[in-house]
Amino acid sequence: MPHFMNKKLILLLVGMIFLVALISFSLRDRQNASLPEQFIKDTVGFAQSIVAKPANYITGIFNNINSLLNTYEENKRLKMRLEDFAVLQAEVNTLQSENESLKELVDKESSLKDYDPLNATVIARNPDQWEEKIILNRGSSQGVKLNMAVMSSQGLIGKISLVTPFTSEVELLNTNNPNYRVSAIVQGEKKDVFGLIEGYDVERNELILKRIDSSFEVNVGELVVSSGLGGIFPKGILIGEITEVTTDDFGLTKMAYVKPAADFSMLEDVIIAKRNATIIDGSDGEGTNKDLTNKTNSESANEGEE
Amino acid sequence: MIRFLIPFVAVALFLLEPEFALFSPISWGDGVVYLVPRFVILYLIFLSIYYSRKRACIYGLLFGLLYDVFYIDIIGLYSFLYPLVCFIAGSSVKFIHQHLSVTTILSLVLVALMELVLYYFFYFINFTTIPFTDFLSNRLLPTMIANLLFLIMLGWAFKYLINARLLQRARDIS
Repeated sequence: MPHFMNKKLILLLVGMIFLVALISFSLRDRQNASLPEQFIKDTVGFAQSIVAKPANYITGIFNNINSLLNTYEENKRLKMRLEDFAVLQAEVNTLQSENESLKELVDKESSLKDYDPLNATVIARNPDQWEEKIILNRGSSQGVKLNMAVMSSQGLIGKISLVTPFTSEVELLNTNNPNYRVSAIVQGEKKDVFGLIEGYDVERNELILKRIDSSFEVNVGELVVSSGLGGIFPKGILIGEITEVTTDDFGLTKMAYVKPAADFSMLEDVIIAKRNATIIDGSDGEGTNKDLTNKTNSESANEGEE
Repeated sequence: MIRFLIPFVAVALFLLEPEFALFSPISWGDGVVYLVPRFVILYLIFLSIYYSRKRACIYGLLFGLLYDVFYIDIIGLYSFLYPLVCFIAGSSVKFIHQHLSVTTILSLVLVALMELVLYYFFYFINFTTIPFTDFLSNRLLPTMIANLLFLIMLGWAFKYLINARLLQRARDIS
């Protein structure tokens, strides 16, 4: 009998060692999926996307009922804004045509703002929400690459953290990952101010915009958009609105709390932004300092600012 | 027919879990509340208690592995915890009365313990920094309430399905 017990004990110990090895092995490299992993992800993703369609339909019905109840209030508010909107639309049109003619004048072809939108459907959300992650039904076969920006109709929601041939995973902005940075601009009244979105305040449910030069003025209520200078995101995607400005821990730079424009909970249809300008491995990327600009013609890479 | 219904229900629950997770997090008062659907493991605990411990452990390993690969990207976490929970549930059969309410409470206690282990694991590897009290009030409590509702609605159906399968097996043998 003791012999039998020993055998079981050894089996248990070996199992534990194997388990710890497996966990630490898979923790080390989470940006790439191995071949069997990709296969499982694609298969489960396929089944998931079949289930997601009726589920999205049902949640759509609930949302419709909800918005139907608010119709009267909303209609009143919207009518008030309609007149402003017509004026604004005319202004935008003239500005746009002016912008285009000016661009032709200076021979400027690509801009950091340009991107190809790729529509994707959310097929799943990580059920144990320890990491803020969603899974989309588009993968590398449709041209999705690591670190691409993902946005909803309201604003930026995150970036691609893992790609398989037919699915991709998005790490949302409200993640706990300390290496998650988005280079951003505060659209001030006179001047744009640069900063980095670094981290998420769990208690306030707001993003933290750090490294703002203390000589610039940043005010509550100003909008924060992506700057496009991180190397991967296109310029001008709305991130949120500033709610509070303070100095950071060392008192050298300012930091601001940003209320995200997008709602992270009920996500259904999102847009993956494929940037047209050359992609550089910068702070939005992995930071490997690889020289990616010399392969293509350098015109598009050299222009940094509008 | 019923023979294939048991794994089919497990697969369906596995695919439904992330759809329900899309509703979470919910803003409740001035805080944010997380609801974690744990349908598969609740079903597997029922299987383990009413049907067969070994079968439940194998299902647990399989679905745990799928869960790890598809959602978590840390292989070995759920594929260890699911079979362990099933094993504990199956071993407890000798000591408890197999009434539906007792099974419901037992499975909720086991899931709460699993959540606790997961919290400490993710705290240990720095995926989360929330303090324990926040975890208790914003995650564990709402999760348990949501899963209790799920079990109250569907627990009897699980038991009915498993009993039907057991009866069928008894008929096949005789």
